[in-house]
Amino acid sequence: MKNALDKNHMIEPCIEKSHQATLFAKNITKRYGTGSTEVIAVRDVSLMIQPGEVVLIMGPSGSGKTTLLLILGALLKPTHGEIRMGEEDLVAMSEKKLPEIRLRKFGFIFQDFNLLSALTVKENVAIAAQLAGLKGRQARAKAETILVDLGLEDRLNFLPEKLSGGEKQRVAIARALVNDPALILADEPTANLDSKIGQEVMRMLRRIAKDQNRSVIIVSHDPRIKEIADRVLWLEDGQFKDMVEMALDPVCGMAVERENAPASLEYQGETYYFCADGCQQEFASSPQHFLSPDHSLQHKV
Amino acid sequence: MFRLAYRNLFQSTIRLTISAGGVALALLLVFSLDAILAGSERQMTAYIDDTGADLFISQKGVRNMHMASSSIPRNTIDAVMDVDGIEQATPILYLTNVIDVGEQQFLAYIIGVEQDAPFGGPWDLFKGRSSPNPGEIIIDHTVAQKSNLILGDNVDVLGRSFKIVGLAKGTTSIINSAAFISLEDFFQERGTDQVISYLLATVTEGQSPNVIARRIEAEISGITASPRATFSSGEARIIEDMGADIISLMNLIGFLIGLAVTGLTTYTATLARRSEYGMLKALGARNIHLYTTVVWQALISVTIGFIIAIGLTFLLSVVIPFISPEVGLIVTWSSMTKIALAAGGIALVSAILPIWQIAKLDPAMVFRS
Repeated sequence: MKNALDKNHMIEPCIEKSHQATLFAKNITKRYGTGSTEVIAVRDVSLMIQPGEVVLIMGPSGSGKTTLLLILGALLKPTHGEIRMGEEDLVAMSEKKLPEIRLRKFGFIFQDFNLLSALTVKENVAIAAQLAGLKGRQARAKAETILVDLGLEDRLNFLPEKLSGGEKQRVAIARALVNDPALILADEPTANLDSKIGQEVMRMLRRIAKDQNRSVIIVSHDPRIKEIADRVLWLEDGQFKDMVEMALDPVCGMAVERENAPASLEYQGETYYFCADGCQQEFASSPQHFLSPDHSLQHKV
Repeated sequence: MFRLAYRNLFQSTIRLTISAGGVALALLLVFSLDAILAGSERQMTAYIDDTGADLFISQKGVRNMHMASSSIPRNTIDAVMDVDGIEQATPILYLTNVIDVGEQQFLAYIIGVEQDAPFGGPWDLFKGRSSPNPGEIIIDHTVAQKSNLILGDNVDVLGRSFKIVGLAKGTTSIINSAAFISLEDFFQERGTDQVISYLLATVTEGQSPNVIARRIEAEISGITASPRATFSSGEARIIEDMGADIISLMNLIGFLIGLAVTGLTTYTATLARRSEYGMLKALGARNIHLYTTVVWQALISVTIGFIIAIGLTFLLSVVIPFISPEVGLIVTWSSMTKIALAAGGIALVSAILPIWQIAKLDPAMVFRS
């Protein structure tokens, strides 16, 4: 398990490290209208996402979260700023090239799942692969592999209307993964799921990010998602106001904010964060037990 | 994208039924009219095609029978028989008149034929004799059926009474029928036996009717000799010309109805799946992918409508002759090709509005639901 305690991702974008980043956005601004009707939806935002990192962007309604997601997902051009994905400058890129970039470099997960109602589960995933150039049979085979990995082997030929919300979102995740994207963008992915299913789906997303070294940006109101995020960014009035790094309590597995953790402990050169003093004391009594792979697996997310 | 188009269509069976059904009815209108026209042409040229003559010799410049008049001297028969390559020749007299059956009147081509002529008379008999003696007539069996006439009954033609001795098959059309009387009776009616209307001839085996026709025209002045195929196509052209405007108008109406139905259903189908198309755009689908889907949808529904229309037309071509024997429907390859092209046009034109709708679709809309 790649424990949250291992995380040491940078918060502020660092130019030196930008070439390693999955996505590097610098001084992004988006204005709508001019003069007295001007609205600045995103204001001088900079962000760098590392491979395998899960970033949660939270904020009140109208804070610019969705606009930022659209800009980062090459669906909307910023008024000002720079967005790089590897060597490619998404802002300078022509509109004609953007669909190809979205298809191959991004995976999208939507609030309403947005599955094609007439296609089966397998076809819903395969169509994204076909759009990227795979032939029908190959696309369906690839879709099937991913869906089986996500535990949907019994639902391959079901229409979306026959699926539960959690299953629909897993299909959407499979669709987002089918073209092996470097970055997955999820818009309110738990909004239409109940609490338990929402958590399961998010843990699945985190596992995929870590196992497959894919970056994930989630835009959500749901504070429970903090648990699976490596970084939580708070967007307000189009700007990041505060950024919170999360860690997992090695005893109970709960996600805690590093800065506001009720308890912490240095052990063998690492800092561990706890949700309460009780957990810290328990850890202190037998650190090796809580750091053993068997115990860690219980909290694998 | 074909699979998506197909699934989209068949998911909404009501919309598909309306779309394909509307197209089917519109194309059925066009198909039926074409089939009726083709059937009428076949009926109208049936005498020329089936009576057994290879050549039709008429007054100079006359190249058909319908609404035409031809007079040639009777001695033309001997002159034609002297032309090398002619096997047999027989004269006919011909005019358009009515068969009077009490209060009922039936428009008919009255054809005077020689007794026991080798050709020129009825070629398919329902009942009775095929060669009329003086005072006798052969009429089409459908005319007899309509008027409850049987062999031995009398009808009035050219102002005198004739006894029915034969009932022919295949000599009726949507416009009229053919009736055969003896050449003597016709001469008597005309008041002269020195003028005939047409001379029908056969060529000896191995001879080309075209070559012999040219030879006849070269050797005998004042006449036109037409091979059967040429004479028949001239006759058909008259029918085509008579119906061309109506058929063109009906074709246009059928095309417009089909276009309206397909256009509306394709548009509403696209509108209903706006968010799905938006999602595909967001994922990275190019407009051409989505346009293809819409065109496939229109093509599939039009193709289904086209197949239904063909099926219904064939069904009508079987059923209608039982109800109305004088109406014959023939579905021709040229008609099917024409209508298939029109159907393709309907599909493409009906996809324009939905394509425009997709073109202006903002993929970001899926994030604003």
